[in-house]
Amino acid sequence: MKGGQVDARGGIQAGITSFLKEALSKGCFDAVMIPTRVPAGDSFAWILTDNEDLVAGASPLPPVMPVQGARALSSITKKGKAPAKIAAVMRPCEVRAAVELGKLKQVDLANVTLLSMDCPGVLELSTYLSDPTKGDSEFSRLLDKWDAESLRPVCRSCTHFSATASDIHLGLLGAQAERLYVMPLTPEGSRVTDALNISADQELDSWQAKVDEVRQKREEQRRKSEVELKERVEGTEKLLATLSTCIGCRNCMRVCPICYCRQCFFDSDALEGEVAAHLSRAERKGSLRFPLDTLLFHLGRMSHMSLSCVECGTCEDACPMSIPVGQIFSHVARRTQELFKYDPGKNRYEPLPLVTYEQDELHDFEQPYVKTYSGKGAADA
Amino acid sequence: MDAAFEPKLVGFLCRWCTYQAADLAGVGRSRYPANLVPIRVMCSGRVDPLFLVRAFLKGADGVFVGGCHPGDCHYIEGNLRARRRFGVVQTVFSVLGLEPKRLRLAWISASEGPKFTAQMKDFDAAVKKLGKNTAAAEVFL
Ligand code: SF4
Ligand code: SF4
Ligand code: SF4
Ligand code: FES
Repeated sequence: MKGGQVDARGGIQAGITSFLKEALSKGCFDAVMIPTRVPAGDSFAWILTDNEDLVAGASPLPPVMPVQGARALSSITKKGKAPAKIAAVMRPCEVRAAVELGKLKQVDLANVTLLSMDCPGVLELSTYLSDPTKGDSEFSRLLDKWDAESLRPVCRSCTHFSATASDIHLGLLGAQAERLYVMPLTPEGSRVTDALNISADQELDSWQAKVDEVRQKREEQRRKSEVELKERVEGTEKLLATLSTCIGCRNCMRVCPICYCRQCFFDSDALEGEVAAHLSRAERKGSLRFPLDTLLFHLGRMSHMSLSCVECGTCEDACPMSIPVGQIFSHVARRTQELFKYDPGKNRYEPLPLVTYEQDELHDFEQPYVKTYSGKGAADA
Repeated sequence: MDAAFEPKLVGFLCRWCTYQAADLAGVGRSRYPANLVPIRVMCSGRVDPLFLVRAFLKGADGVFVGGCHPGDCHYIEGNLRARRRFGVVQTVFSVLGLEPKRLRLAWISASEGPKFTAQMKDFDAAVKKLGKNTAAAEVFL
């Protein structure tokens, strides 16, 4: 990977914001969408601003992810192309979700410059909120050490924490003290680095080596946690036990960047049955929990959107019952995506697996011709 | 295995092909198992993953999707879409250990009445081997 360097003397966050501030002042973009600390001080929110001072005071890498960036971007560009150039400063999983939403026509990327950075992960929202000061210092430590214990489980085994389908990627790993790497990944990215006179022709070997090292650790962690997760979800009984505390609040769905349907099936009255039908079903079974359809909701959501799940863990952060929804979805998503060799958010131009088909594929899922039918054999079979 | 166990089968059948094959099987002499509830759909591409999941959770012991052979779909790619969606649902079932073999997809054209019967008998036998769908008795679904 090739790139250049910029100054980060005031720390990583300040390095990123001063890069953005300069790009803004040189007219590389007209506004910046970036996380910033809320006035109360104990959380972070997205702002869209052209004010250089606000950009300078923003938090491009907050310790938590209360709102998935792709959702914020969708709320701005859902109805069409932005009339002015917006730089969206997001974590890799947010960029990937934005790319998926672009394909789903929920984000218009036409006038958006996507900026990502190496992501050390985020802390669990509830843990952070219980003591923000402690959370802040833990996160600065993480930015320095890149270890994983205090991260959300999904981040601990996230392997997509670095360069992704963004226009510009900022490399924190392997950089010299008080420096940041800047990698233009698209012509749009080069437009920005050119305007800022950053020569991006340096081979970034030390960055690559560090990224590989972290990725290896995360892959190892992933293998371990998948073994543990299987223990909790494999088989109807275990799956039900793990999901049985679900209160059906649908938070996981509402905060998920990928679940965008305006008229969600699970909110519709398609699921409302007649009283008599409920009674007879309960009677047949001996007893039945209401409201119904906890498992239908989760399995249905997986079947609908797991191909685009970017494993961001936002759902898990939002679950009031501490159900490992994000881990379960990410576990399932890896397998469904594998079917189509699809890596969501990786390539803006690769079509979604459910809008493109091949005549000759997936034969493993077809029941082959059953040969026993002819003659008498069939009648007695 | 309980010898008296009669599985409940649900079939989502494309009206242009498999549903007609079922009809043909019905009027011909090759009877298909009476425990199949056929549901007519306009095209296998109409079968939303939720249809399968819901039938399974409501206690169907086997859920079948029948469509036109690839290349023969009246809506060109409906069956190819069905196959992709089916692949996703069956994979979700496998990953979570939910007996993916209770779901089956096959292509049966309108003229293949005996083939439909054979397919259903085979499915019926396969499901009998799996036994009752435990979801049918679960309270906390
Ligand atoms: S899942 Fe976690 S570690 Fe991975 S990119 Fe998102 S926030 Fe960063
Ligand atoms: S299901 Fe969860 S992990 Fe997957 S994209 Fe949605 S919020 Fe992120
Ligand atoms: S957020 Fe948690 S409790 Fe709420 S619906 Fe999702 S899994 Fe259930
Ligand atoms: S019309 Fe039969 S599968 Fe599409």
